[in-house]
Order: sequence, then C-alpha cells, then structure tokens
Amino acid sequence: MVLAVAALAASSLLLAACSGSGTVTTNKPNSSKGPITVWYSNNQQEVEWGKQMVAAWNKDHPDEQVKGQEIPAGKTSEEVIGAAITAGNSPCLIYNTAPSAVGQFEKQVGLVDLSKIPGAANYIEARSGAVADQYKNTDGDYFQMPWKSNPVTIFYNKEMFAKAGLDPDHPKLATYAEFIAASKKLVASGVAPNAILPAPSSEFFQSQFDFYPLYAAETGGKQIVENNKATFDDQAGRDVANFWATLYKDKLAGKEKYQGDAFADGKAAMAIVGPWAVAVYKDKVKWGSVPVPTKDGLAADKTWTFSDAKNIGLYTACKNQGTAWDVLKFSTSKAQDAKLLELSGQMPLRKDLATTYAAYFDKNPSYKAFGDAASRTVEVPTGPNTVQMLQAFRDSWSRSVIFGNQDVKSALHDAAQKIDSIAKQP
Amino acid sequence: MTSTITSPRDSQSPAAQSTSEGRRRRRRPLGRNPLGLLFSAPYLVFVIAVFAYPLGYSVWISFHDFFFAAPGADVPRPFVGLQNFVTVLTDPAVIRSFGNVGVFLLINVPLTVVLSMLLATALNRVVHARTFLRVSYYIPYVTASVAVVAVWSFLFNDGGLVNSILGPLAPSPSWLINDHWAMPVIAFFVTWKQLGFYILLYLAALQGVPKELYESASTDGAGALRQFFSVTVPGVRPATVLVLLVSTVTGANLFTEPYLLTNGGGPDGASTSPVLIMYQRGIEQGQPDVAAAIGVILVILVLIIALLQNRFAGGRD
Amino acid sequence: MAVTGVQTRVPRRSRTAPKMSRGQTILRGVVLAIGAVAFLFPFYYMIIGSLQTKSDASLGGALPNLSNMTGQNYTDINSRINLFQGLLNSGIFTAGVLIGTMVFGLLVGYALAQLQWRGRGVTFALALLVQVVPFQLLIIPLYVLIARNYGLADNFLGMILPFAINSTAVIIFRQYFLQLPKELFEAARIDGAGELKLLWSVALPLVRPAMVTVVLLTFIGPWNEFLWPFLITKDAALQPLAVSLANYISNVAATASNPFGATLAGAAVLAAPVVILFIVFQRYFISTDIGSSVKG
Repeated sequence: MVLAVAALAASSLLLAACSGSGTVTTNKPNSSKGPITVWYSNNQQEVEWGKQMVAAWNKDHPDEQVKGQEIPAGKTSEEVIGAAITAGNSPCLIYNTAPSAVGQFEKQVGLVDLSKIPGAANYIEARSGAVADQYKNTDGDYFQMPWKSNPVTIFYNKEMFAKAGLDPDHPKLATYAEFIAASKKLVASGVAPNAILPAPSSEFFQSQFDFYPLYAAETGGKQIVENNKATFDDQAGRDVANFWATLYKDKLAGKEKYQGDAFADGKAAMAIVGPWAVAVYKDKVKWGSVPVPTKDGLAADKTWTFSDAKNIGLYTACKNQGTAWDVLKFSTSKAQDAKLLELSGQMPLRKDLATTYAAYFDKNPSYKAFGDAASRTVEVPTGPNTVQMLQAFRDSWSRSVIFGNQDVKSALHDAAQKIDSIAKQP
Repeated sequence: MTSTITSPRDSQSPAAQSTSEGRRRRRRPLGRNPLGLLFSAPYLVFVIAVFAYPLGYSVWISFHDFFFAAPGADVPRPFVGLQNFVTVLTDPAVIRSFGNVGVFLLINVPLTVVLSMLLATALNRVVHARTFLRVSYYIPYVTASVAVVAVWSFLFNDGGLVNSILGPLAPSPSWLINDHWAMPVIAFFVTWKQLGFYILLYLAALQGVPKELYESASTDGAGALRQFFSVTVPGVRPATVLVLLVSTVTGANLFTEPYLLTNGGGPDGASTSPVLIMYQRGIEQGQPDVAAAIGVILVILVLIIALLQNRFAGGRD
Repeated sequence: MAVTGVQTRVPRRSRTAPKMSRGQTILRGVVLAIGAVAFLFPFYYMIIGSLQTKSDASLGGALPNLSNMTGQNYTDINSRINLFQGLLNSGIFTAGVLIGTMVFGLLVGYALAQLQWRGRGVTFALALLVQVVPFQLLIIPLYVLIARNYGLADNFLGMILPFAINSTAVIIFRQYFLQLPKELFEAARIDGAGELKLLWSVALPLVRPAMVTVVLLTFIGPWNEFLWPFLITKDAALQPLAVSLANYISNVAATASNPFGATLAGAAVLAAPVVILFIVFQRYFISTDIGSSVKG
C-alpha cells in the first residue's frame, strides 16, 4: 500500500512538472479582435434569443465571427464554468453567470475586470442605473455585466382563491397577518394541501426564494451582508423568519420538497417566483401576482425584492477580448434587450424599463408589475465567499425556521456570527 | 495491504509458498511469471495517466491554502501543514456527516450481504420465469436516479403510500424529514437500488460452486437450510468478501442520495455525507483545500475498514 | 459485443438443483415474486407516470387510467433531442469503456490472480485505492489534466479515458480467477501452453458468468454517467443520451405540459436499452461446471 501511494506520488509530481504553463494570466483586459465563442443558457427562450443575437452580429462582422453554444443552466453550470476556468478553456462570454459565483471566479482570475476597459463602467451605469452598484466588487470594480433579472413576487392561483372564498382579483396578501390568514383559509378549505411551498431543502440558493425577497421588502432594499457584516440579526430579520416559521409550524407550508412543480400541480395555492414563471404557468394555472408581503404592508411600487439575476462575464481565457467587449455591448443594446424581453419575458437590468419598452408592457400587461419591480431588486452579497455565507445562513434557517430545532432569534444570531467570521476570510 | 483479499486456496500454505518464491526471486527479479507485469502494464499506465496526478494533487492541496485558479494566474498557495485537517475535524457538520455514513454502513452493508446472497441462491435455482425474475431485480440498478427518487418520494412522503398503509403508525414528521429516519431510509434505498448488482456477483459466484458438494451434502441428509449454510455460504465466500468491500466503498462515497432524495442532506443535516460536504465545500464554495482534507480522511478510514473486514471475513483459513 | 471472445457453445441446461420439498419450492417462488414486485414497482411507476397527460401524485395515480394517458411526453422528447445521435454517442462512449475494461481488465485480473510477479501487491492495492477515492475529490484536477494537458476536451477519447478500465471490474475478475483451481493451470503449463493461450482457452470459458457480470455492471457506469461527459463536451453533437436527457429534464421539461411526466419519459428512454441488453445477456449466466473440468 505504501509503495502504491509512493508510486502514485512520484508519477503525479512528474506530471505536475510537465504541466507548468508559460503565460501569465491576469484580470487585465486585452483589446485584440477576432473570432470568439460565447455560451448562453439552454432554456428554450434564451437559446432562441442567443441564436438570433449571434446571427445578427455575424451578419455585420465577417472577421469577428461569434460561435454560440448552449450550456446547461441550473445547479451544475457553476461547476462547469469553474472547471473551465481552471483548465483555461472557458469561452469569451457566458450569458449565464450567477452573481453568487462571480466573487469566486474573480478570485480564480477567471473573469476580466471590465472597469479596466475604457468606457465600460460608464456604459454599465448608463444602462442599468443605480441597480448596477450592487454588482461592483468591494473595490468598486465590475467583474460582471448586470444583464437581466427575475424580480421575485407572489403568484397565486385565482381559482383556488375563489374556491376558498378569497377575492381572486384583489387578494389581501400585503401584510404578514393577512398572508397567514389567507393561507389558513386556503388550507382549511381544502383547496390545496399547502398555502405556499418554497423548496424547504438545504441547498445554499434556496434562501433566495424565501427569506431574501421578504427581507429586502421589509428593509427597503438591504443586503444580508453589508461592509462585511451580517445585517439580518435585527428586528426585520426576526420578523421575516418568524413569519415563515409560523407558516411551517401551522402546516401552511410543507417541510418536504415536492418532486415536481407544486404550483402547477395544484399542491400549493401560491408560489414565490419571478417573471420566467409567466410562460411556464400560462396554460396551466389562472394566476395573479402580488408583491411579497411585509410586516405592515407596502404599496407595490415601494416593495423591494430579490433580483434572481443572471449576468454576463468576460473570461480571462478569451483571446480576443476586444471583440468580446464589442459583442457584449451589442448584445445589451436597446434593440437586443427588447428581443430578450420579447422572447424570454425576463427583465433586462435597464433603468426606466417601463418607459423604454412602454409598447411591450402595454401589449403584455401581466409583465408590467415585474418591469416596475426590476428597479427595486437586491442582490446576493459580493465577494469570494458568497456561497459559503448563503450555505451558513441556509443551515441555520433549516434548523430553526423549517424544522424548529432551535429558536429563530438565536439561530439568526448564530448565522450572523458565522457569516461575520466567513467575511473576514481573504 | 498486498493481500487484502486472498482466496482460501491462495493462502492455504503460505509458508511453503513464500519459501519457494523467495528461492525463485533470486533468479528472476520480476517474479515467477514476469508476463503478469506485461498483462498489467496497460492498467498501470491507465492508473498513472488518469488517477495519479489528480490524486497526488488532491493530497498536496489538503496541506496548502488552496483554491483553483486559471492557468498562469499568480496566486499564493502557502503550505499550511495540518490546518485544513484541523478545520475539518473541528467542524461539527463534518463530524456529523461521518457519523451519518457510519449509521448508513451499519444498516446497508449487512442487509446487502444477507439479502443478495439469499436472493441470488433462490434465483439460481428457479426454473420458471427465470428471465423475468432476474430482470426485475436488476431494474432498480439500471434506472436513472431521478426517476427512482421520484418513486421513493411518492412512497415515503407525508401523504405517500407507506404512510397511508401505516396509518397512525407512520412516523411524525414523515420519513425523509425525520431526524431519526432520514438516514435509515437512505440506507434502505441504496440497499434496494444496488441489490441487483450484488445479486449478479453472487449469481456468478454460485456458478463456480461444484454441484458435487450439494450432492454429497444431500446424501448426508442435509436439508435445504443446512446445505445453504454448509455448502453455499462457504462456497461463495470470495464473493462475500467482494460484496463487503464494494458495498462499503460505495457506501462511504454516498453522495447522490442525500443530494437528491433528502435534498442536500436534510432535514437539518441529518443525512449529510462526507462526500456531499466535499461537494459543497470544494465545488460550490470554492474551498478545495478543506474538501481535499475531508477526502483524505475518508480514504484512510475506508481503507482501514476494508482491512478490518478482510481480517475478519477473508483470511480465516 | 465485447463478449464475442467467449466460446459460444450451446449452454447446457441448468444443473440438477438440490432437492427441495414442494412446499419449500412454492415458498421460494412466493418470496421471489413479492421481491420482484417491490423491485419492479419503480419501473412500472416510471412508465405509468411517463404516459400521463396530467401528473397525478396521489395514490390513484399509480394505477393506469385510460382517460389520462398520452404518448405526448415521448413525442416531446423526440422533438427536442436528437435521440438517434444521443444513442449513438452513448453507444460509442459505453463501447469504448466496455472494450477497455474487458480486454485490459481481464488481463490484469488474470495476472493478479494466477501469476506470480513483482508488483502484484502494489497493483492490487492501486486498484483498491482507485475504488476508494471519491470522484468528487478528483473531478476538477482530472478535468484540467484531460482537457488541458492531454488536450482531449470535446473528444470521445477524453470522455472515455477516466472510465477506460473499470477498477471494480479488475477486482471482480481477480476474485473469480482466484476461484479457479491452480492445478488446472499448472497442468496446462507443464504441457507447454503459453499464458495467453491459457487465458484464452482455459480460463476465459470458466469465468464466463463473471464476464457477463462485468459487462452488465460496467455498462451502467458510462451509460448513466452524466457529470463527466457533461463537463468534457461542450459540443452538443458529442453528448451522450444521459447528458442531453439531463439537460432536457432540468431545463426544458419545466415548460412541458406535464413536467413530471416528461422527466419520467426521459428516464424511461435512458433505461430501455439497458433493460433490453440485460434480457439478451442474462441467458449466458449458465453454470460452467468447474468441478467436472478439473476432473475431465
């Protein structure tokens, strides 16, 4: 056995010695032009958008051809990107870069510092406005281009509401008390086994769809970590947590994940989702949407929420970063953003969305609320340890809010302390 | 370690063998059949080409402050000694995950050995509907996890089939969200899903048990039960050692089930496994150094268990 | 396929089973049948679920209901995924792994069990070590090695390489070769037979059940493997069925009229070829009586 390990160690050293690479990689952009490869998300709507975008660019740029490929979205796309960075074969642009992973990719020297490209910061800020701020890293630099968001709201099933004796057109769901009262009525009347069923599972990103939007709404847009300190160990955080804890304790929300789509299958009367859901539910459920609840109830145009954004990253492995930046600008132009909105129903991270695309929102009134909400969205904390922080939060959340093994107050306090110490890591 | 799994025949006369080998070795530096090395060369090249570097690298990572970076990136990776191991061993979540896998192995391994041996013996003798029965037992093993997990949640969720049958006896909270039941349910699940594999191993081994042994046992008046214990069980012992080893190793590498069936090791960490935590730390959270330390500890523990198993199940005669 | 090397003489009918009373036989049949039902249920549920127009997670949903049946979920998959290409890619990937494992795995297994040579212990320990190490520990360095150092991204060779020789198969082969009596080989060696000939004409026919086992076991790995081919191939034209179906399941299925049904249909498409393969191959699980070969 010892011999075996020794043999392996020797051969691995040999291999490691051969694999040293001569060139130095940094976050600094280059400006060369030429053909590039881009990846886009693989859901049907975004593939359609990606294909037309690439075709439109290629038509006018015979010397700087773009090759577009799908990457699988979902849980594993960060894994693929991480591996590609390490191997140095990532594409130039990825139109599916999760903000929670950007800090890590930056630390890995995988992403180009866009702020170092002349005019880039101005371009980003002119397009997205104040929302762009939360996509800066701690030094104030952009390692991601804010692209599109899916502001999270509450969807409700109109038929179920009517059956339970609730007003299907103007449901009272603005305050926690109203929300819980409506939930009790829904479950007691037997129209659905759950009033609402956000995934009660332990993945780090799940808190983005229960705690996060409500905390953003309650605090008027506070991030859960600011200046390397957790913010949520406060009254607002406890209120939000207690609200969810009540839903779980009173069996208004299930503690078990449903295999499938609970809202579409009639297992839950409400869902907490973004505008991508419009296309998914349009033939299945007669739905309405309201902003997420707050303790005292806020008007829709004052309610903040979680952004669920996907951004664009320019990767250091790219040879022709000059072209890549041009394509990036082209694909986030007013015309391409209009296409994105039209094809996918997701909201370009653009200021004055509602006025810029007024015609679209007049034609599709169901998207109007999302277009308006897109200007009041909160992002995950920045930095290389985002996922670690979110997992620490999620673990405390599971323990206290969902499974009741710890009281909410001390669980939030523990999570805040843990996140503070994570934030101190380099 | 060199003879972790030795057949009874192999070790019948170790003394005689080793002296004769020793005499021969002086004349033949590569052993009595140097051809063996040639036969094994492709495999050795394969292992070195594919596993040596990643494995050696992972061990190296576990002693450094490390993260994956783009090729050519100038990042510091200081040697930190045992710091990653200290981090891991003082993390209650990691310790708990090892405990969880311990529970898993205690249920899964004995159950696997007993059930697969019994079922294979029965399947081997069956005359009617042979293909049908064999296919049935093989099917969970080939079916993609996503479908199988859907079925188990259908069976074991709160309003599922199992709870409907049990009525008031059903545990509360339900199986998969119950601190005490989550891990056993996963252990049953894995036993059930993998059993087809081990049945195949035993079926193949049963073909090698000389039928004369059954005949003579039968003439001695042994019943089916006695034959099972006096002929079948010892006859398939090499396969049992193999099943023990493989089921322990796959159990120790438990990942997919807590990831899918209990959605990331829930409820509240009651079904996390070391590999799940490795995945979270190493791939999701960008701390491959901590993940590598968990991996190294896991590999060492599994090797120790394999060694002990072999002591007690493999080398008795 | 890889088993063509096996001498295909007509399988002898099963040997005489030890005598059992009628009651015991019936009991055994009943136990096996109940077990079979428990093991078949998920497959059954998968098929039923994949044929439903609207997903029904209630208990009644486990029963066929003609008014709720459709082939739509399958036609949906067929319209989004190039099934033929996916099957072909899966076939190439799996065949590569099978050939590597059957040829080289067999050689090592034989050498480990029946030959004495320096380094035997180390080799076996390596096979064990490879088994014990979790894939999640190696995946990124392995990817870097194969994609960067070997330049095998988007290439079938790169896809096959990490699985090329299944170490479990090596251990299985070793174990079954160990079961063969040494005298058999000693006698043949005295007659002057070369090792390759020995392996081919003496050892192989005797471990045929083990070979069938290895084929059936090795097949599953690459066939259902998702993560590795998914990492190593960005080119959709090279992706095996498991990858395109997983993509379909995680992204496209959500917008299908019955997402759950679409998912199960995907799983059924993936499982079908393996089940057929098993039905075809399991007939070779026939006793090769070692006892009589030694005597004869």
